[in-house]
Amino acid sequence: MNKYFKKLAIPYFVWLYILAIIPFMFMVILSFVSNEGLDFSAAIFTLENFGHLTASSTVIAFMNSFFYAVIATIVCIVIGYMVAYAIFRSHFKNKFLVMTILILPMWSNMLLRIEALKNLMEPHNIITDLLAKIGINLSLNIAGTPLAVIIGLISTYIPFMILSIYTALEKIDYSLEEAALDLGLTETKKFWKVIFPLSIKGIVSGSIMVFLPCMSGFAIPEILGQGNILLIGNVIDQHFRNMNYNLGSLLAVVILVVILAAILLVSKFDKEGETLI
Amino acid sequence: MIKQYPLYEQYEVAKIEDYGYKEHRFTKILYKIIRYLVIIFAVFLMYIPIFTIFLQSINSSTITSEFGSVTLKWYVNIFTKGSLLTAIRNTVFISIWATMISTLLGTLFAIGISTLERKTKRHIMLLNNIPLLNADIVSGIGLMLIFSSLVHFFPYFFGWKTMLLAHIFFTLPYVVLSVLPKLREIDPNLFEASLDLGVKPYPSLYKVIIPAIKAGIFSGMILAFTMSFDDFVISYYTTGNGFDNLSIWIYSSMGRKSLSPSVYAFSTLVTIVFFALLIISNLLQGRRHHNENN
Repeated sequence: MNKYFKKLAIPYFVWLYILAIIPFMFMVILSFVSNEGLDFSAAIFTLENFGHLTASSTVIAFMNSFFYAVIATIVCIVIGYMVAYAIFRSHFKNKFLVMTILILPMWSNMLLRIEALKNLMEPHNIITDLLAKIGINLSLNIAGTPLAVIIGLISTYIPFMILSIYTALEKIDYSLEEAALDLGLTETKKFWKVIFPLSIKGIVSGSIMVFLPCMSGFAIPEILGQGNILLIGNVIDQHFRNMNYNLGSLLAVVILVVILAAILLVSKFDKEGETLI
Repeated sequence: MIKQYPLYEQYEVAKIEDYGYKEHRFTKILYKIIRYLVIIFAVFLMYIPIFTIFLQSINSSTITSEFGSVTLKWYVNIFTKGSLLTAIRNTVFISIWATMISTLLGTLFAIGISTLERKTKRHIMLLNNIPLLNADIVSGIGLMLIFSSLVHFFPYFFGWKTMLLAHIFFTLPYVVLSVLPKLREIDPNLFEASLDLGVKPYPSLYKVIIPAIKAGIFSGMILAFTMSFDDFVISYYTTGNGFDNLSIWIYSSMGRKSLSPSVYAFSTLVTIVFFALLIISNLLQGRRHHNENN
């Protein structure tokens, strides 16, 4: 089979270089010059953009993004692990079906779900209205606060964590567990010494799939933060909307460095990328 | 006659605690309660937006904070509200074409990749992970930059063409990653046998390899479709000429504070359809298993 189909991979190399590598070089070039939009005729080399990196608004946006993403990822790991483990240990005949039903909300439009969450976080919303009709008065006013953004991030991205931890758990050979019990480990010890170490692969790829979109997304903080909270995604979006491609590209390159580190981490833990989907 | 007791009944039976085992009954119960609470919380967190969308879709009031009475008029309005219908049509058009093209190409690419040497393979898999893990905003901007530099050669390029290309770009890695593990499982001798029997390489690719990796192709296709159907950020940056998909339409309606409840109705319909498909496919699969076992 080897000699016949090798050339099938060549177009993919070309395609990935054109659409994945060249844009990065493009962005790097844009971040070192000052020009109008994409017109390079009057471009001059400058390091001025790098000065903006230390501007307080940018630094705050970076710090915020990082903190929110870390908190959301940690909560997702804890909750996601418990849910994935409970399904893995459950006695359902078709665990995969239970899993899919659990993460069914993932299949409806993300923006709409965020909008619905935002409405729920207002003091008066459809559920409090319905509850008031049966005599329960409940009010929650967290719209526009950091808590709202973090809840939104967790609610949106937790399915990815559950799925990837579950995939890692499913791949554990059952005879290893039997061996652990035969050798006299208790259930708790078996979990910490056998199952948990073998599922770290899933935690790593799940964390990356939660952390990266949490850090770089701009729709969730924009809708749930109601303009009070700027994450780095919002800053980049604003720069590109104002046609300030240079600064926007520079910030995108910074994010990219973080992502490349994550890609290298994944390829170290998971050589074939099998837990990524 | 003296009754002979079995030996073990003559002595006090050692309890498992005597060997240093602790029951930790209290911690176990506590953990159980915490586990149930966490699971309920997780399900609540994931399902509460869906539930609200459903309530919104049968709410006769257009104010999102009030529940008027139960109505189904928004479901009818999906088909009469022009701009929403166009957005839905665009979404379906883009995601179906993107899924078909990336399933076909992704399968061929994966077959190519599986034959590469270890080092080249690692290299291409690293590249393959880039669209998958890259921040949507960075991918979107990167694609936009590439497409805008091509505008000189292809005027009127922005619109469905750029969006379709972008969707193929970010769905391909999913197909490649789903197909590759299946390719590793197949027996290379099968292909050799078909060549020995006089079939040319490409026909035998179609007759031998493709049927063996069918399941991987299918799951890649489903993944590609779901990713493409729900995408917002990349579409937002790569579209043009007023070509909106559903997410972009929702985003701009939200900006104008004029989100029509019909879109909630559409979203509820989509969820119901997905749920039904899931159950049906599962029932069919169950039946097939049943038949095979008999």
